[in-house]
Amino acid sequence: MMPDLKSEKFLTVLQAHKGIIYKVAHAYCKDAEDRNDLVQEIMIQLWKSFENYNEQFRYSTWIYQIALNVAISFYRKESRRQHIANPICEGILNYADNTATEETEESISILHRFIAELKELDKALMLLYLEEKSYKEIAGIIGISETNVATKIGRIKFILKQKFLNVKQ
Amino acid sequence: MSNSKIMEDKELINLWKAYDKKLEETLSINKKNAEEITKLKVQSFLSSMKPIKVFTIIIGILWILFVDGVIFIAYQAGGIFLLISALIQVILTKLAIGIYIYQLVLINAVNINDSILATQEKIARLKSSTIWIARLLFLQIPVWNTFYWTERMWTNGNIWVYMIHIPLTAAFIYLAFWLFFNINYENRDKKWFQLIFNGKEWTPMMKSMEVLAQIEEYKVEEEIIAG
Repeated sequence: MMPDLKSEKFLTVLQAHKGIIYKVAHAYCKDAEDRNDLVQEIMIQLWKSFENYNEQFRYSTWIYQIALNVAISFYRKESRRQHIANPICEGILNYADNTATEETEESISILHRFIAELKELDKALMLLYLEEKSYKEIAGIIGISETNVATKIGRIKFILKQKFLNVKQ
Repeated sequence: MSNSKIMEDKELINLWKAYDKKLEETLSINKKNAEEITKLKVQSFLSSMKPIKVFTIIIGILWILFVDGVIFIAYQAGGIFLLISALIQVILTKLAIGIYIYQLVLINAVNINDSILATQEKIARLKSSTIWIARLLFLQIPVWNTFYWTERMWTNGNIWVYMIHIPLTAAFIYLAFWLFFNINYENRDKKWFQLIFNGKEWTPMMKSMEVLAQIEEYKVEEEIIAG
């Protein structure tokens, strides 16, 4: 692929799947500035891997795999890159909060909080489950068997349910 | 949507969909900044860690050459304490260099396109192996108190030489071995552990040990399922 075409194709893919990058970064990074760094790092690694993208997978699966791998190991604070965005305050992904019913907003916020409390690998499983990925696909991304995916998701859902119940009480 | 309803699986997914929809409507990509990424000559995932590892290995090899020289001179001169101290030191340094080489191998082996478990295990092993370097470092403590000893010091020395050096060295040996065997993930919550590894530079190591423990858990369950 010609460099310009490749870059254009990449930007189109990025545009279509920007939500995944945001959701992963949001789940793994509480601090807003760290989150911008994480988004940047994910995009850099996506671009680096774009040439080796295997067409047998969906773009969303490929993006999830790389985004989660980068996010889980994002504790490597010693190897920070320079910010691409200049001024820094403006990130690559910009999120403008808008209207959503108050109740839904509150529930989403609670769900985020519970997801944030999960361990790194469980968090990855839960994100993929919420994205309605099949157990087979999740098993491929995480690298465990489908049976193990089902067992673990069942367990995490149980914990989430308990937490929601506690909030209700 | 009430919290009680969220308990239902479908409701949980519907809530996520509502969040997704909201993101679709509100999330925008800064095209200019995104384009900048495609112009970068980017390093692979962990390449930024390589230079410091290579630098440390070079310094370590130079140090080994120096200590080997000291060993040779000590052997020729018959300085038994210096000889033994330098031998212990050089063996531990060689082991530490071995760990750095192992880390370089892991850096090259990490493939971000691999499954999460495979990739994270390599990264976590890479980062957590730093704890071995710390353990070896502590194991060296006693030799820094013995390398300057001479035979004459012990044969002609007064009682104070025995009174000071023997308990001091014994304490160092005890401390070195105690730290060597006790610096591990299981003791991460102990006060002494947090005192030693209390700095930002240790955060990646601590975090990676945490991830490694999760991976082990996943693998154990995988084995149980596989029967």
